Amino acid sequence: MSITDRLLKLDQRIIYALMFIALAFPILNPVVLPMAIQGYSQDAFDFSDSIPEGSIVIFEGGLGAATYPQGGPGMVVQIYHMLTKGVKCVFFSIGTEQNFWTMTAIETALKKLPAGTPAVNGVDWVHLGYIAGGEAGVGSLVNDIRATIEADYFDTPIDDIPLLEGINDATGFDAVLWWGGSEGSMPYGIRQISVPFGIPITGMCTTNEVPNFSPYISAGQLQGLFGGVRGSAEYEFLLKLPGPALGQAMATNFGGLLWMAMVLLGNILYFVQRMKGES
Amino acid sequence: MSDRLYKIQLPVYLTALFIILSVVEHFFPMPGVVTNFNVTMRSFVTVVSAAAFMLGIIFLTISHAKTITEQKSGWYYNLFYIAALLITIAFGLMGVRNESFLFIYDNMTAPIGAALYSLTAFYITSAAFRVFRARNWNAAILLVCGFIVLTMLIPIGAILLPPVVPIGEWLRSFPSSAGFRGMIMGTSLGVMGLAVRVLTGRQKDHLGIREERMGGE
Repeated sequence: MSITDRLLKLDQRIIYALMFIALAFPILNPVVLPMAIQGYSQDAFDFSDSIPEGSIVIFEGGLGAATYPQGGPGMVVQIYHMLTKGVKCVFFSIGTEQNFWTMTAIETALKKLPAGTPAVNGVDWVHLGYIAGGEAGVGSLVNDIRATIEADYFDTPIDDIPLLEGINDATGFDAVLWWGGSEGSMPYGIRQISVPFGIPITGMCTTNEVPNFSPYISAGQLQGLFGGVRGSAEYEFLLKLPGPALGQAMATNFGGLLWMAMVLLGNILYFVQRMKGES
Repeated sequence: MSDRLYKIQLPVYLTALFIILSVVEHFFPMPGVVTNFNVTMRSFVTVVSAAAFMLGIIFLTISHAKTITEQKSGWYYNLFYIAALLITIAFGLMGVRNESFLFIYDNMTAPIGAALYSLTAFYITSAAFRVFRARNWNAAILLVCGFIVLTMLIPIGAILLPPVVPIGEWLRSFPSSAGFRGMIMGTSLGVMGLAVRVLTGRQKDHLGIREERMGGE
């Protein structure tokens, strides 16, 4: 067996070990490499930054245990961004697990807020909790909040929440922030809230889902998009609020470079083998 | 009353009625009674989903219990499932904000979920090394496009190779968007077609009836 052949049949455990080192090294020894900001992220940031003080945004938290490591840091930064700007947030989730993680993101953001930032539950933000029924549930919520739910995440009756006083449908909101993770639910926000009520929308999805939603960006239906952990890292970078995503983005650098090196090596070896007439 | 009326016609009529009530609410202002009825129906969806989830847990537990009682190979792994299920249910019944339940969720469910998702990085790299090769022109084009888009997506990519950004953005905004847009339209048309078939009673798969398609049907 030639060296080319041996390398082509490389034990996959060696590849796994190399990938482990590539991902673990930058996390254990933080190395900050230069980073370019993607157009979609810059658009999403600019849109979020342009929401005026006093606005009310409706915020879907769709991150679960699997996707929170990528999107969670960005969602925390988005909540921080909104509350420090004086924008009020109405949260909800369309998944039971996601509902829980949305609360985690809110609590993490609240801990990071500078002293004196108004962040009173029920006044500056409210978590409506789990909304059942998927897209139909979203449609129902934004058309008649009180007919869809009776109380928020903390069992406070909707009528006792000052932030929702006089608000019963999506006309009371100025923007939609859809942190859908890998739910694939971004179109729910576009179809049920943004288009019918004319409210601009932006948000986040996992990296692999970015191509699914790029048609909505080119059509102008989505203002921008934070994709995966890189999107979260870019938000942290743009808001000058370094957090866990920046460290993970560096791991993505090394992992991505290793992936490219492996594919390149595989192809070089393949062509060498073909030239030798071995394949 | 015939068996057919109970088992086929009545469910078909009920399905059609619920579809019409849900659809008209989207297009026309409806009286409160219709809206309230739809809200109740949507709650039914949650109840049915929860029931299906319970059913899944029951069948999975039966399957694991069977492996344990028959002492099949690796039966002791199944004990972990049973133990994890019972412990989590016990703490969960004390309340979903119970400290012990949250401890299990934060320290076991969350890291396991994240780890499972992260494993794809390892499998994809190993698989790409073995099969992502320029064996022909089509594969070569895919390889080059994949390389450009990945270089654009990794944070340092645009710094190392600046030209990948405009090319990658073009690939994502035009060929990729066009493909996905076609897929979205195709799926939407398919869903609308399926809805019309269910509404008119031509599609009865949801009733467990799989009819042979004949001719134009």
